[in-house]
Amino acid sequence: MEQIIDPIALYLICGLGAAGIAFALPRRDRDGGRTLTIVGGLLLAIAFGGAALLMGLRASHNSAALPNIFFYPFAAIGLGAALRMITHKRPVYSALYFIMTIIASCGMYLLLSAEFMAFALVIIYAGAILITYLFVIMLATQAPTGDKDELLDEVDAEAREPILACAIGFVLVGLLTAAMFRGIGDLPQPGNGATLAQAQNQVLAQLPKKIDKELARQGLLEGGWRVARDQETGQAVIDVDARTITLELVDGKDSHGHPNIIATRTLTSDEWPESLSANNLDRLGYNLLNDHPMMIEIAGIILLMAMLGATVLARKHVELEEDLKAAQARKLGAYMGDEPQGGAA
Amino acid sequence: MMESLTLAQLAFPEEMGPSVLAPYLFVSTAMFAIGLIGFLTRKNMIIMFLCTELMFQAAGLALIAFGRHHLGSDGQTFVIFVLCVAAAEAAMALALVVLLFRHRETLSASAWKELNG
Repeated sequence: MEQIIDPIALYLICGLGAAGIAFALPRRDRDGGRTLTIVGGLLLAIAFGGAALLMGLRASHNSAALPNIFFYPFAAIGLGAALRMITHKRPVYSALYFIMTIIASCGMYLLLSAEFMAFALVIIYAGAILITYLFVIMLATQAPTGDKDELLDEVDAEAREPILACAIGFVLVGLLTAAMFRGIGDLPQPGNGATLAQAQNQVLAQLPKKIDKELARQGLLEGGWRVARDQETGQAVIDVDARTITLELVDGKDSHGHPNIIATRTLTSDEWPESLSANNLDRLGYNLLNDHPMMIEIAGIILLMAMLGATVLARKHVELEEDLKAAQARKLGAYMGDEPQGGAA
Repeated sequence: MMESLTLAQLAFPEEMGPSVLAPYLFVSTAMFAIGLIGFLTRKNMIIMFLCTELMFQAAGLALIAFGRHHLGSDGQTFVIFVLCVAAAEAAMALALVVLLFRHRETLSASAWKELNG
């Protein structure tokens, strides 16, 4: 069993990371906690950089594969933006930093060959969900504060129990990573050493019409010919590993409604068109509809319920109490009074 | 062969083993912990819900990394489901936040202490 990282080093890194986040969390002090935030960020950078370095050294010592070089900037941007998101005092900036985290994890999805999910994530998360958050942040905002940190509400300016929470969080990281890294060396190497492209092409047998279309586009199908279908399963008769395709010539249907096959022939691996391959989307769509059809129904119900619930909640009419109204007016006045132009208006 | 390979497969070598999977899992765990810490420490309800989205994101990264390791599509299918749940959660949570804000004129979670059961 190969070791990914020394457990002692891992616990040290977790301690360092916890200290870093505890320093960086918002607090009220003279310079608005800016120095401590920078110190915390540096500590966290040292912790994660150390983790990356130790894992890289260990992997190269065992002459094992390293992740793609682009993984490191994406991970750094993702974690850095996540840290900024939970430490920033202004909710709008937090939401914007979260978009940055999303885009960095999209980069990692691309490196993991999940192209469709990467772009879906940008559209759905960054494009839809986060915009909703921004709307609500702007709708439900308290009195304006301008650039003045001291006008910020206590809600945003202070953290609750930062040390305890960081300790809990990084105990969790330490335990989870230690447990995962202990078993990760024993994970089976799936697919008998097949490459991703080979594994992806396995789905081609389920998509006979796609093969027909691709072969016709390459001019390999004369009139009446098509890819042979298995009589029972309807799958295409195709050997992805040996790269051979069986074709059949069909003329009408027989008395049982089966296609009337006149002749068959086989395309050899030399004739296999290079453009015939299944992509990520073919495979994902087939997997979603064939293996997890129930999930679509459940997702539909969840979304419908959420829509109904949100509508019902948002329709409720709320009557503000008088003292709350007065407090809000005072707050607004305090802000306007500081700025001459604003006061005049 | 070149044109049949998709964008990312060209950029990313085919190698995938424990030593490649481990850094992704570490990033995913760290992201989850940052989300958890944010949820526990911040008082602003909107930020708290943003932190749950961050935790969803971390789980999605782990799913995709394991899916890539097993050369399967199930991981990506589950990320679609996670995305649905995140969207539903955002709609519900934000409707609740707006409602609570209209009651108390504050986003502080501690303004609703009496809900502690």
